[in-house]
Amino acid sequence: MLQGNDGPVPASWMASDFDAYPQQGRSYVVDIPHRHKYRMGSCGIAGCINTDGSMISGSKIEKMITTMGERENGLGAGFVCYGLFPDYADEYCLQVLYESDQSRAGLEEYLSDRAYIIKDEKVKTVAVPTMKPPFPLVWRYFIRPKTNTESFWRKGLDEEDYMVHMVMQINQADNGAFCVSSGKNMAVFKGSGYAKEIAQFYDIGRYKGNMWLSHSRFPTNSPGWWAGSHPISILDWSICHNGEITSYGVNKKLVEMAGYKCSLLTDSEVITYLWDLLVRRHGLPIPAASFAMAPWYYKDIDRLDEQLRQLALQLRITYKEAFLNGPFSILVGRSEPNVTMIALADRKKLRPLVMGVSEDGNSVFAASEECAIKAVQKDAETWAPKAGNPVIVRLGEGIVRRGTEAPFQGVRL
Amino acid sequence: MSVQTVVRLPEKYRPVVDHELCLRCKKCVRACSYEVLEFKDDRIRPKPGCVACLRCVYECPAQCITVKEMEPQFAHHAVFDPVLRRSIIAQSNSGGVLLSSCGANVEYMDIFSHLLLDAAQVTNPSIDPLREPVETRTYLGRRPGKVTVTDDGRIDLQSSSTPLVVMDMPIMIGHISLGSISYNAQAALFQAASELNIVAGTGEGGLHADFYKHSKNLCAEVASGRFGVTSHYLKEVSSVEIKIGQGAKPGHGGHLPGEKVQELVSQTRMIPLGTDALSPYPHHDIYSIEDLQQLISVLKESTEYQVPVGVKIAAVHNVGAIASGIVRAGADFITVDGLRGGTGSAPRVIRDHAGMPIEIAISAVDQRLQEEGLRDKVTLCASGSIRSAADMIKCIALGADVVGVCTAAMIAMGCTVCQQCHRGMCTWGIATQRQDLVDRLQTPVAAQRVVNLFRAWNEELKEMLGAMGIDSVESLVGNRDRLRYIGPNPRIAEILGVKHSGEGWG
Amino acid sequence: MASKKHNEVVIDVDERNELGHPLDYRELNEKIRGCISSGMEKVILKGVTGQRYIASAMDDPDVKIDIHGTPGNDLGAFLNGGTIEVFGNAQDVTGNTMNDGRIIVHGNSWDITGLAARGGTILIRGNSGYRVGIHMKEFNGSGPRLVIGGSVHDYLGEYMAGGTIAILGIGMEEDVSPVGLSVGTGMHGGRIFVRGAVEEHQLGTAAHVLPLTDEDWEELQSMIEEFEHAFGLKPSRCRDDYVKVGPLDSRPFRGHYDKTNI
Repeated sequence: MLQGNDGPVPASWMASDFDAYPQQGRSYVVDIPHRHKYRMGSCGIAGCINTDGSMISGSKIEKMITTMGERENGLGAGFVCYGLFPDYADEYCLQVLYESDQSRAGLEEYLSDRAYIIKDEKVKTVAVPTMKPPFPLVWRYFIRPKTNTESFWRKGLDEEDYMVHMVMQINQADNGAFCVSSGKNMAVFKGSGYAKEIAQFYDIGRYKGNMWLSHSRFPTNSPGWWAGSHPISILDWSICHNGEITSYGVNKKLVEMAGYKCSLLTDSEVITYLWDLLVRRHGLPIPAASFAMAPWYYKDIDRLDEQLRQLALQLRITYKEAFLNGPFSILVGRSEPNVTMIALADRKKLRPLVMGVSEDGNSVFAASEECAIKAVQKDAETWAPKAGNPVIVRLGEGIVRRGTEAPFQGVRL
Repeated sequence: MSVQTVVRLPEKYRPVVDHELCLRCKKCVRACSYEVLEFKDDRIRPKPGCVACLRCVYECPAQCITVKEMEPQFAHHAVFDPVLRRSIIAQSNSGGVLLSSCGANVEYMDIFSHLLLDAAQVTNPSIDPLREPVETRTYLGRRPGKVTVTDDGRIDLQSSSTPLVVMDMPIMIGHISLGSISYNAQAALFQAASELNIVAGTGEGGLHADFYKHSKNLCAEVASGRFGVTSHYLKEVSSVEIKIGQGAKPGHGGHLPGEKVQELVSQTRMIPLGTDALSPYPHHDIYSIEDLQQLISVLKESTEYQVPVGVKIAAVHNVGAIASGIVRAGADFITVDGLRGGTGSAPRVIRDHAGMPIEIAISAVDQRLQEEGLRDKVTLCASGSIRSAADMIKCIALGADVVGVCTAAMIAMGCTVCQQCHRGMCTWGIATQRQDLVDRLQTPVAAQRVVNLFRAWNEELKEMLGAMGIDSVESLVGNRDRLRYIGPNPRIAEILGVKHSGEGWG
Repeated sequence: MASKKHNEVVIDVDERNELGHPLDYRELNEKIRGCISSGMEKVILKGVTGQRYIASAMDDPDVKIDIHGTPGNDLGAFLNGGTIEVFGNAQDVTGNTMNDGRIIVHGNSWDITGLAARGGTILIRGNSGYRVGIHMKEFNGSGPRLVIGGSVHDYLGEYMAGGTIAILGIGMEEDVSPVGLSVGTGMHGGRIFVRGAVEEHQLGTAAHVLPLTDEDWEELQSMIEEFEHAFGLKPSRCRDDYVKVGPLDSRPFRGHYDKTNI
């Protein structure tokens, strides 16, 4: 039976050697060495979406991310795919990294109390010769939360908040299990290794979806930790982040006040929770949420027309704890109302971000470096979004925003 | 027949004149309001009573005066130090409560010097404030917590709107009343606040008619004595603060003796000439937290919800829980005044021995409000001897949105912290009502000096923010990850929620 | 003069290693250096996919490198002689701390183009990104020239200490400025020519809009000619279309610091 606790040491796997830190009899695979706490660093991000609904194979995103070889050092990489399970599109897909079969048994008991497990299966993994064991056991569950239990109605949450709460509980607990994705019709494949290795580990080429995002790490502390790689996901949100957040302490306090628990020991985590909080829970339109996270300077806000100026000020003042200070470029994926890719750079554009679109307009790409786009689409027209200006691309709608428009275009008052 | 009960205390300071350079202009004699210098037998000679206010040094055209600290006259004793012995002797003389002024004069209280700031290196770029924007604009007031979005996805600006005061820098000039300081001094402070576009507190002495022109940069204080509080006063200013307490004298009220209540003070405080101006210890309509809610509500109603209404408390043991209660009672901002805060007059015993240092207080309040999910609703102001831009930025990192500064502004105007304010003979024309002394303070010069000081601090703030890779001050508020403790007591670090120097992120 | 065929070599770069990474830039650059030292005067690279530091520290004025594909970051870093021509887009930090030589890009370049350049010429046919020409300088009579055919984003010419930048705004609408915000912030030398308007709020600290002198116009025309020659496009030749952004002071932050002995 799982116990929720407030301790900050969740399950983890080390993909490389380190000295054992025996702590309360747990196996070394599960522990994070206590001095290697925080990971930060410059990385590579890439994404692609087919707006006409056609499918993209995992090998395409693999090619994109591996082109940017200089942006990784083998300590973490990951992929997320949307539109992966059309037959189970109404169930939440929990993809979980397990330390052992016992952890799996424990979590399945916990889950079955709280949800109907419609289907579960082992996720195919391959032992990659260049990667060091031990490897986690990866499992996938398609679930529907039990909304008729006392536990559910006593919390007074709606179904999605309940799912968030459940995932936070699972990942905080000392149970040898880590849930890396929890959205519908999508899954996250990540771990500690080079992008190519992670792609091989999960045999990523066997999957097809409407949209892929991926990330390769260059953290500045040594061993990687499987759960700490990107994409970082909650519900249908997933984030690939390049940069470092100097306002982390402030952002963390806001999301923790709203009930999220930061368990990944990486600043990128707060970005995921901020999007969930601002867009799903507060209902902000995407350009408004982007503005809150990368607001204009006051001197430039003062030059806007009165109504927009009021809007800008209100967003900036109300959400000042959501302001992500420091360099960043992020790719954000979500499924509501339809599969969407959002790309955003910080307001000083201190991290690179390039977009590309195929000549027929149906395939849109995003990457840290243009070479990643050109490697899979030679005829792509490329452009760079402006600082703090979101790019929005949606299945069925195409490019909704190029990232060069006026700040609140599309926001209704 | 009375018995001689007064024992004279040994002198602490003595002005020493270099008679060779002395021009015999006698400016120093006129300068000293404590009548310590006299011209006798062709020389300037000192009498007892020097307080080291340094006015004579400033005025001497030959620059030939030095104020020397006298060698301690008492035999050394480690436990009964000179200050203690002097206190006992004085009390035996008078039978009265010892008064003093300015902030706590006790050495062990400064925690700011044990805190170190982070900087951006490699993993993050630092920002150059001279060439790239580093923003210090701050808003004071309650925030709604979220921007309202209608069901059909439109943003509703009206319902998310709350009254806010804009400040160009996160500095507030703290409340100092007309009565504790002079007209010229207050004029200088208000002028500086207007020029810098920040907020200055009016203090509990009401607002002189001449100063209404600055009202958009003023915060009205509603203290227990309610001096000068009229509807007109409340409606003109930018914000209103209920003063429950003051860091220098927690639990105490105020006392302005009748001889200082001259025409000016009488008019502004709206009390009869020559009476004592007493501020009761508690507000006599606030005996519990629900009463505070009542006062806040009536103030908001009376100002038609146009201005933020806040509360100032002294930092005491339970300050976190008290602050939480105050937020729930409807306050839009809370000022926490720490133990080392200044005062025009307070009993020594309270000034030095009661309260909590602001570093700990602001961390406690910030953390407690955070835990209760209330932190984003209010603005937190912290004061209590913020002595430099370094103190300011550390205070912000510990949890304050705004810092209140008083003593430093006084020093900018000429104050030398000689701690004689309660005697009303301030030779610099600041803490006095004697017209001949007040005239010494030239308002435009004093205002300019305060403006210079805070501008310099704001530039330093930007330099430090930029060095940390932060380009807007709101991303530092309560960001305790950017501080490290390097003092003697690691337990303090724990209480502050700050890691020890050498510990990394995580 | 040796025939072209003799002194020319083609290197096809399009291969991937077992980690999926394209040909390692170290290998590629070594190959290029090898070709140059063995007397090649023209090196043609095909299928370039993001390899970095190509032709960095090259100092042979007779060598030309043609790049087909997308060169990676720091193209021509510390370049000290020779020509690089890109048939496609370049990435970030093109011409990093360049001292001499020419870089021609038939496309866009992204952020930080011409960082700290001290000499040489960079010609970009299309647009460029943020912090273009940051901290360009002059020394001993040589000054770098940077010409961008389209537009750039914020912080153009930040910290500029010397050299000349021209933003030609080709293909842009009349009322849209081809430069972003904070233009020339911290400028204390050099000059920036912009075709189109630069408004007050776009200027950074210490930058001012100044009138074009005759000498400026001569220099600008010469830069426009170079641009035309490289790309065949025809930017405006009307003097009134251009403004100059420059510093008024070589020590613009003089009063900021206080040296009192505390």
